[in-house]
Amino acid sequence: MTFTALDAARLLDTCSAGIVVFGVLVAGTTSIGRAIWLVAGQAVLLAVAVAGVGFATGDTHLVFGGLLTLASRGIVVPLILGRILRASPVRSERDPYVGPRLSLVLAIVIVFAAAFAVDGYALGDATTSTLSAPRALPVSVAEVLTGLMIAMTRRKGLSIVLGLLVFENGLALTAFSLTYGMPFVVELGATFDLLMVVVAVAVYARRMLSVFGSLSTDQLRNLRG
Amino acid sequence: MNELLVAILLLAPALGGLACLRLRGRFVELVAYGSMGMSLVVGIGLGLAAMQLGHVSAFQGAVAIDALGAYILVLTLLVSVLALAASPHYVRHELVSGAFRPRDESHYYALFLWFVTTLIAVPLVDNLGLLWVIIEATTVVSALLIGINRSPDAIEAAWKYLILGTIGVGFALLATLLAYASSVGALGASSDALNWTRLMSIAPHLNPNLLRLAFVFALAGYGTKIGLAPFHTWLPDAHSQAPSPVSALLSGASLLAAFYALTRFHLVAAAGLGAGFSSTLLVAFGLLSIAVALPFMIRQEDVKRLLAYSSIEHMGVAVVGLGFGGPIALLGVTLHLALHAFTKATLFISAGELVQHYGSRRLSAIRGTLYAAPVAGGALGGGILILGGLPPSGMFVTEFAIILGGVTRGWGFAAALMALLLSLCFVALAVHGSRIIFGHSGPVERSGAVDWDMAVWLAAPLLAVAVLGLWTPGWLMDALVSIRTVLGVAGV
Repeated sequence: MTFTALDAARLLDTCSAGIVVFGVLVAGTTSIGRAIWLVAGQAVLLAVAVAGVGFATGDTHLVFGGLLTLASRGIVVPLILGRILRASPVRSERDPYVGPRLSLVLAIVIVFAAAFAVDGYALGDATTSTLSAPRALPVSVAEVLTGLMIAMTRRKGLSIVLGLLVFENGLALTAFSLTYGMPFVVELGATFDLLMVVVAVAVYARRMLSVFGSLSTDQLRNLRG
Repeated sequence: MNELLVAILLLAPALGGLACLRLRGRFVELVAYGSMGMSLVVGIGLGLAAMQLGHVSAFQGAVAIDALGAYILVLTLLVSVLALAASPHYVRHELVSGAFRPRDESHYYALFLWFVTTLIAVPLVDNLGLLWVIIEATTVVSALLIGINRSPDAIEAAWKYLILGTIGVGFALLATLLAYASSVGALGASSDALNWTRLMSIAPHLNPNLLRLAFVFALAGYGTKIGLAPFHTWLPDAHSQAPSPVSALLSGASLLAAFYALTRFHLVAAAGLGAGFSSTLLVAFGLLSIAVALPFMIRQEDVKRLLAYSSIEHMGVAVVGLGFGGPIALLGVTLHLALHAFTKATLFISAGELVQHYGSRRLSAIRGTLYAAPVAGGALGGGILILGGLPPSGMFVTEFAIILGGVTRGWGFAAALMALLLSLCFVALAVHGSRIIFGHSGPVERSGAVDWDMAVWLAAPLLAVAVLGLWTPGWLMDALVSIRTVLGVAGV
């Protein structure tokens, strides 16, 4: 049995659907621990999609890209976030600016709006490849917007970072859909940057815990004017 | 040969930073000076070569430096040296006062050198994707520097910077991807389609809709790092809470790096779409930035926030000038970038000295510095006047050139609005500046003997800025003109 381009396209569609569902669930949960699992799940699906397309097309650089995504976004990042969460006294998003139910509805609206507004195939010349990675473009736009929405409407530092990571997953999927994988050195650099961002987040989370006693951004409103 | 030079330029501060992690006291300073010095010499050599030849490339075109890149590179290096020279004094004071733990000294120098490494890498790379990676790296490294002393305010500033900076720069990645997608029709799925040199060469064949979208995202993304309103909210916090030499680097060099990145997108967009689209957006957001910064400068109570808001104003001026285009305004922008970098770096360093001397950041406390701390106080007060555009300083001349250039290019209304806003900015800064020098303060301890080292470090850049308005040496003028040629591709 061989893994054909058609199989890869199905795999890509399945993973995209999963990514969308996970994104909506992140928006709808107040448990930070569950959100970490969901964001990690998104990353794993992203990795599978990229590597799958790589296998089907025989493009080793995509396979490596998928493995890199799995190792960084799927494993290392969630582990670091989990450590921060265990050190933190509060493990749920208690009163976000927009409640979980409304966020859930907003996330669903975003998905439909993105699917309606962004037609991957309408990009015309960007779809010359037979496999048509741009079919994932509406999903990636939806994740970018969902991530932004989560980051803007939460109070806890860790939830904001999770929103940021959904946003970053969306960006990675956009990169994959539009360019079919960037040059490998760029991908390597972007992964390194993401890990550094999460390390910096961990550093400041520790400082916030020791100085303020919590990760709530309510304490961060001293600087004005 | 070029490969070796580029390698030394980047590896010296990168490895120097690594060594700093294990060192303390005099040794860490020596290593920092040594690696910075090596980088400076090589960088200036490369910069001069690029100016002379018009273009230097290395590593099979992965590194591409034109006159604009060379200029940004040399300015970044000079500002870094200035900021590094001010660091030992600052760090020792923080160690004595207990704001730094002993290990923080090593971390400070290591992060400082890594920040410099990322900043000087920006104007070197040809690939817009790599450019994005490096700019994102500047954010992370500098975020770690901002909160190094663990004060609640610094942690707040660093956190906001980290989150907003990462999101902002994320939009710049979208811009980069869209620029790539816009080239697929002309180039196919080619691997060098992210190189700005390649994009410039095929600009008229790029997909205009995608290119337009790419520029909008670049404006939001790199605009966040430049501090363009309304994406500027992190900037006053981060620039004011960072250790003062780092503030100098943030305002003097990291804004330049982001401006450089936005300029590349503007040039591609202008070459592909005609100048109208991107220029109009640049002028609009530049003016908005000046207008947003103005009230905060008037009512400001914190000396470092005053300087930070003035950075927003000045980057606004440069962005407006870039949007105006044309020979006069572009010449003004080019010189303005250098003058602002030097003035602001010097001001942050002297403000840092005064904050340590007075034990307060409040402008109502830091007064009468002519008596209490003549060197740093004179530099701060005088520098603020120059910053406002006091004629005949260089700052006045460049701002005047940008306004004049705007008028000659048919941007009469925008130029008039800018002139009005800048005069108000001048009044605000002049009031603050004269109070700092002459005003009445409570009883303060007078600083002892004049520190001549510091006097020279602070006075030299300010004098240069003051003089350059009246007299620009021939070689500098030649350099400025060749940079303008790069900027003027869009249609002079």
